[in-house]
Amino acid sequence: MKNRCLYIVGMCSLLLFAGCEKQLQEQPYSQLVPGNFITSVSGITAVLYAAYAQEGELSGQKAVKGCIATQEWCTDLMWETSGSDNRIASQIIDFTWDASTPWFFSMLWAPPYAAIADANDVLDNIGNLKDATDAQKEGLTAEARFIRAISYEHLYSWFGPVPLRKSTSDTLQLTRATDDEMKAFIASELLAVIPELPDPGKEAAYGRANKGAAMGFLCKFYLNTRQWQKSADVAKQIMDLDYYQLFPDYEQLFHVENERNKEFMWVRQASNLGPGNVWMSSVYPPGFKEDPRTGQKLIGQNFGAQYRLLDGFYDSFDPKDTRQNLILTSYINTQGKLISLLNKDNTRSFKYWPDPNNQNNQGGNDIPELRYADILLARAEALNELNGPNAESIDLINKIRERAGLSDIALADFPSKEALRDHVLAERGWEFYSEGLRREDLLRMGKFIPGAVARGKNAKPFQKLFPIPLQAMDSNPELVQNTGY
Amino acid sequence: MTTENIIFKHRNDRTGRRSQRWVFALIFLLLYTMSSPVMAVQANTRTIRGHVTDQDGNALPGVSVSLENSTRGTTTDAKGNYALTVSNTKGTLVFSFIGYTTRRVVIGGRTTLNVSLTQKVSALNQLVVVGYGTQKKSDLTGAIASITSKDFNKGVAPSLDGLIQGKAAGVRVVQNSNEPGGGISVDIRGASSINAGTGPLYVIDGLPLDNSVPIGATGQSFVATRTPRNPLASLNPADIASIEVLKDASATAIYGARGANGVVLITTKSGKTGSLSVSYDGYVGFQSPAHTLDVLTAKQYSSVLNDIIADGGGSASEKVTGIEDGGTDWQEAVFKTGARVQNHNLAFQGGNGKTSYRVSLNYFDQDGIVMNTSFKRYNARFNLRSHISDKFTVGVHFNSSYDINNYVPVGFGINENAGVLYAAFNFDPTLAIRDSAGSYQRSPYITIDNPVALAEGKRGVQNSYRTLGTIFGEYRIIPGLVAKLNLGGNVTNSRKDVYISRFTNDGAAAGGIATILTSVNSNYLAEATLNYSKTFGVHHINILGGATTQKFIDNNSNATGRNYVSDVTFTNAIGTGDPTLNDIGSDKSSHRLISFIGRVNYNLLDKYLLTATLRADGSSRFGENRKFGYFPSLAGAWKIDKEPFMKNQSVFSSLKIRASWGRTGNQSIGNYHSLITYTRGPDAVIGEQPATTQEPARLANPGLIWETTEQTDIGIDFGLWEGRLSGTMDYYRKHTFNMLVDLPIPTSTGFNTKLSNVGSIRNEGWELTLNSVNLDGAFKWSTSVNLATLKNRVLNIGGIPPIITGGAGVTPQIAIIEPGRTLRSYYGYQVTGVWQQGDDYSKTKDGVVPGDLKYKDVNGDSTVNAADRVILGNSFPKLTWGLSNTFGYKNFQLDIFIMGVQGVSMLNNNLVDTYFPVNFRRNKFAKPYLNRWTPENPSDKYPSFVTPLDQGQKLVNSYTVQDASYLRLQTVRLSYTFPHIRKIIRSATLYITGQNLLTFTKYQGMDPAVNTNGDAGFNIDYNAYPASITTMIGVNVNF
Repeated sequence: MKNRCLYIVGMCSLLLFAGCEKQLQEQPYSQLVPGNFITSVSGITAVLYAAYAQEGELSGQKAVKGCIATQEWCTDLMWETSGSDNRIASQIIDFTWDASTPWFFSMLWAPPYAAIADANDVLDNIGNLKDATDAQKEGLTAEARFIRAISYEHLYSWFGPVPLRKSTSDTLQLTRATDDEMKAFIASELLAVIPELPDPGKEAAYGRANKGAAMGFLCKFYLNTRQWQKSADVAKQIMDLDYYQLFPDYEQLFHVENERNKEFMWVRQASNLGPGNVWMSSVYPPGFKEDPRTGQKLIGQNFGAQYRLLDGFYDSFDPKDTRQNLILTSYINTQGKLISLLNKDNTRSFKYWPDPNNQNNQGGNDIPELRYADILLARAEALNELNGPNAESIDLINKIRERAGLSDIALADFPSKEALRDHVLAERGWEFYSEGLRREDLLRMGKFIPGAVARGKNAKPFQKLFPIPLQAMDSNPELVQNTGY
Repeated sequence: MTTENIIFKHRNDRTGRRSQRWVFALIFLLLYTMSSPVMAVQANTRTIRGHVTDQDGNALPGVSVSLENSTRGTTTDAKGNYALTVSNTKGTLVFSFIGYTTRRVVIGGRTTLNVSLTQKVSALNQLVVVGYGTQKKSDLTGAIASITSKDFNKGVAPSLDGLIQGKAAGVRVVQNSNEPGGGISVDIRGASSINAGTGPLYVIDGLPLDNSVPIGATGQSFVATRTPRNPLASLNPADIASIEVLKDASATAIYGARGANGVVLITTKSGKTGSLSVSYDGYVGFQSPAHTLDVLTAKQYSSVLNDIIADGGGSASEKVTGIEDGGTDWQEAVFKTGARVQNHNLAFQGGNGKTSYRVSLNYFDQDGIVMNTSFKRYNARFNLRSHISDKFTVGVHFNSSYDINNYVPVGFGINENAGVLYAAFNFDPTLAIRDSAGSYQRSPYITIDNPVALAEGKRGVQNSYRTLGTIFGEYRIIPGLVAKLNLGGNVTNSRKDVYISRFTNDGAAAGGIATILTSVNSNYLAEATLNYSKTFGVHHINILGGATTQKFIDNNSNATGRNYVSDVTFTNAIGTGDPTLNDIGSDKSSHRLISFIGRVNYNLLDKYLLTATLRADGSSRFGENRKFGYFPSLAGAWKIDKEPFMKNQSVFSSLKIRASWGRTGNQSIGNYHSLITYTRGPDAVIGEQPATTQEPARLANPGLIWETTEQTDIGIDFGLWEGRLSGTMDYYRKHTFNMLVDLPIPTSTGFNTKLSNVGSIRNEGWELTLNSVNLDGAFKWSTSVNLATLKNRVLNIGGIPPIITGGAGVTPQIAIIEPGRTLRSYYGYQVTGVWQQGDDYSKTKDGVVPGDLKYKDVNGDSTVNAADRVILGNSFPKLTWGLSNTFGYKNFQLDIFIMGVQGVSMLNNNLVDTYFPVNFRRNKFAKPYLNRWTPENPSDKYPSFVTPLDQGQKLVNSYTVQDASYLRLQTVRLSYTFPHIRKIIRSATLYITGQNLLTFTKYQGMDPAVNTNGDAGFNIDYNAYPASITTMIGVNVNF
């Protein structure tokens, strides 16, 4: 008895603890480990898709809040009241933001860098692929470089030059690139991938990178950095692709059923099944039940946040302009009363018209980052900057106006470069409101800070760039804050 | 009924305190009402008969029964009966029995005297459960609070952690939610981590428990909660014999990498040898809300809001135009009064000389005081121990339970994501519950759903099955050497069903939403120990060595469906919705510990005690080359009372000083932090279809190790006047280093932070426990009090700037983590008053107007901004205390338990919503609005609320961070024990209990004792489930 028990105890102990270091290896059942995962096309595509998703910023409502609203609250188009968004919005509207304003980090700094990190992960591992042809490898490489380049383009627009991380193995703490390095990198990367990417419409799946998108971003990058000739040239090349065209009906363009058209060159793809477009929930006025003009009813939830258009902008529309049909000016509330939104800085942009299949407040309406209309107006603007008012610029602008149901403008109406520039700015406002382009348009034309001051804001010239977020500064002693912050 | 004479013994009334005068008053009132004249004396020779039992009603054989001042005497027989012939019935009988308190009973003319003896609380010989063993209390070298069942909280306690709330110094038990079966957090000696867990390790009958919440998720469109219900509620508190809280390193180091937050050892009741005894206890109680938030009534709401509009606030379109059906008190609409709670326990125990067993059954059923919330438990336990031979003992502890939780959404969600309580506090009081068509009424001004619709239409139910237990075998190899093998396991199988009906806004938008969440959490334990105990002359040693391993495996899955034909199928036909909207997921993880333990106890001359322990703990969670950590401790104690020089004094019956030092670890950081893995990234939409993605999960830290806590403790244990007054005092200092901090790293790497071992934090404090038998005659009175102080300091966070952290509702950046400050100190603005007409407005650039709140401009730059924030308090009470008084007279016993905390703050986030309303047409706290500043009422306390958001949202300020100190009359219980009623019933006790009867506090929220943030080191009160006042009646019967 005694020996037997001793034996049992002894054996059990031995069995239990034999090789305990090995027993302490973790088994990540639900997570993939690099060795067997990143070596296949499907594995690396999953990482590439993460880069796409991060660039699109749709998850967590970042596209609507960071890439649209934040870019327009500080302009002459839009403001906001109520809801938890107001805490941020009030800082953006009043130019009282600082490096600790949380969205700069969570919406503008972190997502593009996450896209860049994912793209770098793809690029660093592409050589390990076991089941890919060289053509596949080149395609994946071009896509990853494209996402990385446009993510740097976003960062440059918001923060100026930032650290250029080109590989996951770069040292942890990098210094900011110079302005020239930054511009050279973005342009050269886009130029390099244009020949490698498929023609528009030929990409493996809608929403993956193509030649046209890369050219479009390059065109806009040149425009925003005032490289007018290059911008005009790339715009012309895009037009010469003879692929893109304006969608005939502006009002219908943003309805979910009309996406995948030949005008949208690059979109933040949304799905009602998530991640989706949550714009509508923040623009429904309180107690919204129905739009009396179209009979459109509330779909999804009505958030506390109230995104409102400024009267200065709404009132600037030509009464005939069909583009204002996507703006709500009165509504029937849940008690059946008709409420007017006019003259109270309270009209609502219904640009991303409610998706009838909205789920969880998410509509499937893709958010365009780049439209053919933008390219046409870019060329019009660049040519004006180069040559002053000219017939081609006027023609390009009139293409946009014709679709909006407006009469043509004439070259004679514009005595100076400045006059046409001002018109381009106004035209871009009517055309691109709620698409997140206003801040960079105003900046490019030198109207961002003066405009804010004219609206009574205490805006300072250094606020043309957002501050490097506090969390980024804290994580990297090599970073130098933007002047003024 | 006749009475016994009352013998007052005044020799030790020293602990009576002036502040307890009211207690005396109560005693005398009781005496007055219960006493009756002593009966006339008879002078004949009589035989006095009777029955002697212990306090539980069990017969006591062999009790010596004698007539005082005579030689007459006898002993009780096997059934506890005696017969003694006395010359007259004037005298006094003395009942004495080893281990029991001697009792003197005046015969007073009676011929039948049934007496029950109480076991002597000879605390020093009491065995205390320690890690992997037991020890005599007098031989302890560590700081251990031992609470036995008779001292447990007397009120409704669905879970075992509630039993010791306020009962042990340095053990802070905080209710996270007052929901039935609501979560509780326990902090022992402060909090010593920022990112790892701060809860203690629970060990039940030798099985370390996995106390993680099986299903943390709440389901689609159901407010996430920070206060999941208590996993410990699946165990029956009535099965617990004692709870030992191990506090210092000498006691906890044997638990190594899980010991840093203290260890709670739970010992369940074991059987007693003897014939079958059956006991039943049960109670039924009724609960009503103890407090509701004092928000505006419909009339107040319409007049105050319209006044504010008239003063230029809100907008004309938001004018309150009428009150429907007299309006609605939304709290009343969703709260219940008289909600029932009932509990029934049935236990069988017995055994022969070699085997003893105890079987118990429990049914607990608590309705919540918010509609559609409840908790129900069925529990069965079987404990058995058998001495198969004089060398071999086996035993089993087995527990199986089934519990059912019913939920409605409560939590921090706001606006359209609100739960029932947020909605009830904020919803428009001028609306009726339903409109004329019978639909739930909604406000056109706010996006909050109707509170009653939420409570009726968002429902969750969780069914959990939990089985746990241990089997052990002990073999005495040679005298003194015992080998033990202990095997244990726990499987918790849970399923939560959540359905969002279409009469809620969310349900309407989706056509009904069904979610099913499942989890299987399991773990197994295997350990082998050898214990050698031997006395060599004046030396006594006890050596323990062993090895133990435990593996934890968690499996979860979830499914969501939407758009159903009807709500009637609830979650029972989850696949019948729109198939394109289905959503599924699953996850599995595991971790493992492999450990070696050793302990030496050395006792010289029964005066000098030395304890040394060491645990080598290997955890799968730590880095590749850092798998094993070593946790030593050393302690000594000196029993001064055993020294010769103490022989000639009579004050100290015991006196011992102790000192200990040791290291423990904290490994509760989650799995896989040291590995490079890919995990699901944000979903992409590619080709119009959602596509899942993969991203590197983290910047792995292969050097990651446990947090280490080094603790020093000095204590003194004393007993005075033969133990009439006994107590313990401790001073401790805990220094935690290698604390895990999420260090920010450049986001360009794709990650924001990297978990690194860089921080340190210190907790120190004093603890005092006193137990006093104030009166032990016929009238009995005993008091026990415990006090603890705490000082928490963050020392180092790795050189990074202060971390400003915490969020609730719209309130961000609530607290600061900064070296030199208490962990998570509230950080915000100091309100100094209200701007008045005639103030000097040239001093400010902030564009304030009369009636605005005036904030302190700390740096004097004429503007109040983030740079003017100051520390506004913290979540660690300077003093925590509990006071129990027990009064006994004849068969009556009165227990009164008072507890409280002093010097602690809480963010009242519902008050934030009052001062900084998300929008105008919400209900608010009444007092600030009814007394608001107007030119006619130039209040210097309350602002005008005309433009409450115009100064920016300074949400965390000295108004909203409130003093949450409180004193609470937690339980009052009056019980009556029936003497030996009939043969079948050995004893019976009937009691009535009142719980949470009175609270004294300056705190203005729902309950100063609750922390809806779910973390005892960071108090945030938001949308709190109300506390209840409970009255209950119960009975204990022993057969």
